[in-house]
Amino acid sequence: MIYVLYGIVSVICVYTARHYWFTLNRLFGFQRHPYIDIDTADWPPVTVLVAAHNEEKVVANILSALMTVKYPEDKMLVIPVNDRSTDRTREIIDEFVERFPGRIRPFHRKEGKGGKAAALKDAMALVETEVILIFDADYIPGAGLIRQLTAPFFDPEVGGVMGRVVPMNCGTNLLTRLLDLERSGGYQVDQQARMNLRLVPQHGGTVAGVRSSALHEIGGWNDTSLTEDTDLTYRLLLHGWKTVYQNRSECYEEVPETWPVRIKQIKRWAKGHNQAMVTYGLHLLLGKHRASLRERIDGTLLLGVYIMAPFTLAGWALALGVFYQGVVPLHGIVAILSVTAYAAIGNLAAFFEIAAAVRLDGSRKRVCLVPFLILGFAVSIFAVSWAAVSQVKDALTGAEFHWDKTERFRKAAS
Amino acid sequence: MSPFFAVVSLILLTSALLLLPLVPAFAELHSKSDAVPLSVIQQHTGEIRFFADGFRTYLKGLGPTLRECVSSGTHATGTMPDGSEYLVLGRGSEALALPFREQNEFRPVMIASATDLLLPSETNFSKDIYSAGSVIGSTKNCYRAILAEEDIRLGRESSVMRWVHAVGEFSADPGCRLYGRVSSDTGIRLSAECSFLRLNAPYIAIGPEADPALAPSQIPAGATTPQRLFHDGDFEIRPSEVFQGNLVVRGRLRIGAGARVCGSVKSEKELLLEPGVSVEGSLITASIMRIGPDCMIRGPVIAEHTALLQKGTRCGTLQNPTTVSAPNIQVEEGVVVFGTLWAREQGQAVASL
Repeated sequence: MIYVLYGIVSVICVYTARHYWFTLNRLFGFQRHPYIDIDTADWPPVTVLVAAHNEEKVVANILSALMTVKYPEDKMLVIPVNDRSTDRTREIIDEFVERFPGRIRPFHRKEGKGGKAAALKDAMALVETEVILIFDADYIPGAGLIRQLTAPFFDPEVGGVMGRVVPMNCGTNLLTRLLDLERSGGYQVDQQARMNLRLVPQHGGTVAGVRSSALHEIGGWNDTSLTEDTDLTYRLLLHGWKTVYQNRSECYEEVPETWPVRIKQIKRWAKGHNQAMVTYGLHLLLGKHRASLRERIDGTLLLGVYIMAPFTLAGWALALGVFYQGVVPLHGIVAILSVTAYAAIGNLAAFFEIAAAVRLDGSRKRVCLVPFLILGFAVSIFAVSWAAVSQVKDALTGAEFHWDKTERFRKAAS
Repeated sequence: MSPFFAVVSLILLTSALLLLPLVPAFAELHSKSDAVPLSVIQQHTGEIRFFADGFRTYLKGLGPTLRECVSSGTHATGTMPDGSEYLVLGRGSEALALPFREQNEFRPVMIASATDLLLPSETNFSKDIYSAGSVIGSTKNCYRAILAEEDIRLGRESSVMRWVHAVGEFSADPGCRLYGRVSSDTGIRLSAECSFLRLNAPYIAIGPEADPALAPSQIPAGATTPQRLFHDGDFEIRPSEVFQGNLVVRGRLRIGAGARVCGSVKSEKELLLEPGVSVEGSLITASIMRIGPDCMIRGPVIAEHTALLQKGTRCGTLQNPTTVSAPNIQVEEGVVVFGTLWAREQGQAVASL
């Protein structure tokens, strides 16, 4: 039992060191934004896919925004992927098609497998361009975003592009404010540090782009995956394509405003991530492919982030067990120093990262909310652990994954 | 002290210590003083002319004064609605002799001229300048920002701190330092020993010999989705070879003299183009790039460290402008870039590399 505990503690220490490495790199290291200065070019034709399943509250906002972006009109086609919606989504999309003839080609999907990846897979029949950009329907792209997300594709090694998402409803309640902080940490520090260090920036499946030929090469969208974005990141990596992150390509999104919706969302992310870990983890770390050693290590650690939740719970349980059994894990001063050092530095790693991100964002008072993140952390650790347990149960019973759409909170545009 | 009181005190003290870090958190949660979404640039696109357009809008209120001064041939002074002092000149040449000049410095007033504006030498202009005609600056001046409806010419060893926009051609004599954005709707011509950061114009010519008209009107675009080829070590495209496809090299890449690449190339290490190479796509390197002489590149040119462009090299065309970007850029006389030339840290026009 003690050796299992040692193992868990060691892995936690690796993740702690990773948090600090990323944060310090972001604070003091060289920042890579190689494509952001491409402001003049012979812009390639792009297709913008807007995934929409029962999105009557938000779909008009994104279509309006896309019709005003600064990109040559004759080179941009918007395809709203209306995935079996039962609300007014179709009607709203068709109104836009009428208002902007030739610029929007709707894809009304009436049947087929559920899930975003399955819908995008079917929509590919309409795509004729090399550059594909993807947005979820609750996002609101700014005027320059399409150009910014397209620019990296001038690099022949780039297969995927990811922009930064910024919560627009962050002031609603405690949850949205905590999610705002988490997003800051995840993008401003984590993703940008991975970009700086030439590691594995993650494709987020929205505010994102993919090269059509790369997608074709890796076998298209994987409709068996719960998180098509994670799946895409790893398949691109294993085939020698880079995913790049553009921290300055920002786009507003809506974050969950209630805890049940948030829990459902993070459980889906955890299951999808774990699914990718099982599918690609071993091959990424040890297989024969073009990923560099640092990409292999970082990619593997990234795949493990959600499985760390049940690991940590197990570690807590084991630590208690060891204590009540009277086993002394380390001796004397070493034990005291280890516990003190971890309490002083280790526990702070994730919070330090988020605080640094908030500082980099130029925010002032919202950093005061960092202590409340312990609440979000507590909810996540149990939700993600429960997701992992149910995933194992599903695997044993042969149950199929179920894709849950995230509920929207915005009032429908009039 | 009774044991009960001691225990209660300990619990209260511990709880207070536990809650202490949460006091600012509760205060912020309650007051929502920093609860608005992070500012995301929604409407403008990093457009280089953003400040010039804003300044032109700002000046609209001065239109009647400008017309009055040009018809009467006099000058006028006053204050803008935001409190900034202005000087409107009916004749731009008056600037050479006005009492606003004190000890090599213009009093901090915004200058607007209805005709060509001739500016004295060795003077610090700490407010924005506008001319409905051209701006002709003498040597060793320091400008904050300039907008001209016709040409702008900066004298030797002058500096611009923020931005310049010329509807006509912008030219800078040797030794000028252009710290901000420089744009023109017609063209930019820099002399040797000028430093720059961000330039944008239909053409950017370095040196008096560089002739944008000599550039081909079109470089053929590569195939839409050419095959991608990987090479793990160093790689060389032989002289005069025609290379079809996109190429990604994990080591150094050398493209031999006169070779033609029908696609885009990327190298992880140094990228060297020998004389007369033509590339129909983009050129990307994570390291240093040396181009030329006499190369032609159609797509964007991106170096993550340094880009060196030798004489005779053309990037983009008038019909298909492009971007050349790197933290450090050195451009030799005789180079023409059509579109954007953007050095994040230091750009330098040089007589010879």
